[in-house]
Amino acid sequence: MSVRLHSAAELSQMQDRLRVFAQYDADVHESADVVVVGSGPAGAVVAYELAAAGRDVILVEEGPPFIPSEFELEGGLSMARTMRESGLRMTAGSIMPTMQANCLGGGSLVNSAICVRPPAEVFEEWSDRFQLENTSREGLEPHYDVVGDFLGIAPTPDAVQGPRNLLFRDGCKKLGISSEPIARNVRGCRGSGECFTGCRNRAKQSMDISYIPEALHHGARVFTSVQVQQVRWDGRRVSGVEGQVVEPLTGRLSHRVRFDGRFVVLAAGCMATPVLLQRSGDLANRSGQVGENLQFHPGVAVAGVFPEAIDVQFGATQGYQSLEFLDRGFKLESLWAPPAVSAVRTPGFGHELLEHFAEIPRTAVWDAICSTHRSLGTVRARWGRSMDPALRWRLHPDDVPVLREALHAVARLFFAAGAERILPGVNSLPAVMDSEDQARALLSDRVQGRDVVTGGNHAFCTTRMHGDPEQGVVDELGRCHDMDNLYIADTGIFPRCPSVNPMYTAMVLARRQAHSLLERL
Amino acid sequence: MWDRKRGLPTPVGAERVGGRHAQFRVSGVIIPAVQLAFFVLAVVVALGARRFLRGYPRSSHDYQRLRPREIALLRAATDAMFPARGAIPVSGADVDAPRYVDTWFELLHPAKRFQIRLLLLFFEHATLFFWAPGAGGWRRFSALSLQQRIEVLRAWYASGWFVRRLVFTALRSVLGIAYLGHPATMRHLRVAPYAFDSPVLDPDVLYPPIGQGPDAIRYRPEDRTPPASGVPIDLSGPVHPDYEDSPL
Repeated sequence: MSVRLHSAAELSQMQDRLRVFAQYDADVHESADVVVVGSGPAGAVVAYELAAAGRDVILVEEGPPFIPSEFELEGGLSMARTMRESGLRMTAGSIMPTMQANCLGGGSLVNSAICVRPPAEVFEEWSDRFQLENTSREGLEPHYDVVGDFLGIAPTPDAVQGPRNLLFRDGCKKLGISSEPIARNVRGCRGSGECFTGCRNRAKQSMDISYIPEALHHGARVFTSVQVQQVRWDGRRVSGVEGQVVEPLTGRLSHRVRFDGRFVVLAAGCMATPVLLQRSGDLANRSGQVGENLQFHPGVAVAGVFPEAIDVQFGATQGYQSLEFLDRGFKLESLWAPPAVSAVRTPGFGHELLEHFAEIPRTAVWDAICSTHRSLGTVRARWGRSMDPALRWRLHPDDVPVLREALHAVARLFFAAGAERILPGVNSLPAVMDSEDQARALLSDRVQGRDVVTGGNHAFCTTRMHGDPEQGVVDELGRCHDMDNLYIADTGIFPRCPSVNPMYTAMVLARRQAHSLLERL
Repeated sequence: MWDRKRGLPTPVGAERVGGRHAQFRVSGVIIPAVQLAFFVLAVVVALGARRFLRGYPRSSHDYQRLRPREIALLRAATDAMFPARGAIPVSGADVDAPRYVDTWFELLHPAKRFQIRLLLLFFEHATLFFWAPGAGGWRRFSALSLQQRIEVLRAWYASGWFVRRLVFTALRSVLGIAYLGHPATMRHLRVAPYAFDSPVLDPDVLYPPIGQGPDAIRYRPEDRTPPASGVPIDLSGPVHPDYEDSPL
């Protein structure tokens, strides 16, 4: 499927089905067959699939739509506009930044569009451990194919890789480890490196320019700037959701909103859906698993300084990856982020700091996302009326060796690719290392969890699926064990972290769920 | 000094004397305890007010969110963090960090804004606990000499105490985004965004600017253009207009 141009008449109808903040002048009360909460990758797919099948769908999103002229090109301001809690959300316990988008399209607007199918072993493990009989890579392949076609998911072409991604490839080659161009939901990328602040090229097929317009075309109604605060329910049945209109960027609440539906699908994200359930009288929590089991892919990054300038800004934000070490618990990626965001890892102050900054034109940053299965946390509703979560997560000491090994692998990759030196960003070690020998210290016990700057990329498992209603919140089709007509469709339903970037799998599970739901409508 | 019997503190330089009510002798003058307590309290409040509130210059700029003490701290810290004549010909003083932080504050979640404010306030007065070397090292951070500020930053950066390093990292992050987000710095580092026109697609005909209604949508269906070409951007082309002209 290519980018679709609709007729003027169609666009006019689509516009009529979209509500934005300026259009709310009174309380709202509407009903539909299905109410979907959250317009990120999973929610958008569910809304589209149901609408395309002729069902009456309401899609609710707390954030506003963004257009290219409103993208902030500078990292700090961009995060403050597009992220919940201004992009400054932290976990307690082991202190780690983590993020959740607040815009139409959710995280797809500000992520780097990575789409990876997890290896079959991941699903085998899910099936074995969590009694999921019908969740296998093979069984999900048709869904992967359809979503992939819809979004134009394809490996990043060399023409827009840019030097920092190609150096990653070269390093892998020299070390004899596998690597591949990252498959992304992108059409016509020009390599502007602006995935994290919003793609001005409109090349990234984020939900706001792909699934959501198509859902509108098929009759879905989309309400932006609505904060859902509660699920309405009685016994084993939900009857809809209610909340308030919220002003974009200020968060001021105004008119009351109520959406009634025969079915409700919560896709608010794994850090928001549990809060919504807890605020709704601890709904669907007979298992006691709502808000439990919080897992992340903690990301560790190393900066490498090359002898020559490498046009750091040019190229796909993340263009190359290596799955070589998945069985060791981490995945390697090339990375680009605005210096203002990535500089938090830069050591020093004063003249030393400026010297490091001056090397930015010849510095690449590569990272590893780690599977830390023993490190768990919780999501809780805060005191008061806030819908922001209180997050607690602790890096388990047994998972620290994974971080060490990942850091060391990235360091080796840099030296193999020709870097002069690296900045490992580990507090207990020298700020700068100029040889592979020196980098071996990254494997030592001197590197403790709190010494490593981690970022909480990708969050999971807070409403996990499990075949046993006593041990999980939803079944493998996303239906809450405790409720007849309540579904959950975000990464919270993952029973364990998937070891690779989760967006593609979240969309695929959502598609499967939508088709299962269609049979009940 | 704590008078256990009466439960009243005995100020330094005073001596408790007998009588129906608690009294103290200070330099030969007998003062009732209550009056002395009020006096001591007044001195403490006055000193505190002087330290926390007075002496901050009024800014000539029109800041929406920042308070004079926060502006002073940001200027003083940026100066020391990104000194002049460094490896980048843009210094902390050049980038007007308060201007950036003021804009950022406008966008910040109220709870986060409060936390950042606490961070700035704490760092400004942490010299009460961690003195800067040299005379007057207990003064607030923004009142220290440049060399003293550098030494204070060094002590926080190299502290063996995790929490101190964390506070330093938080402050450096705030200053860092202001410094690296400035157009002059980005131009110098060759990371300023490129100038190019965005294609106009269906969503651009659907979505109005934030906070506005459909009447404000800039494009009509006939304005639509072909989607992104896949042709790499021109690296020798101009930078985005917002990053083109700045004082440096």
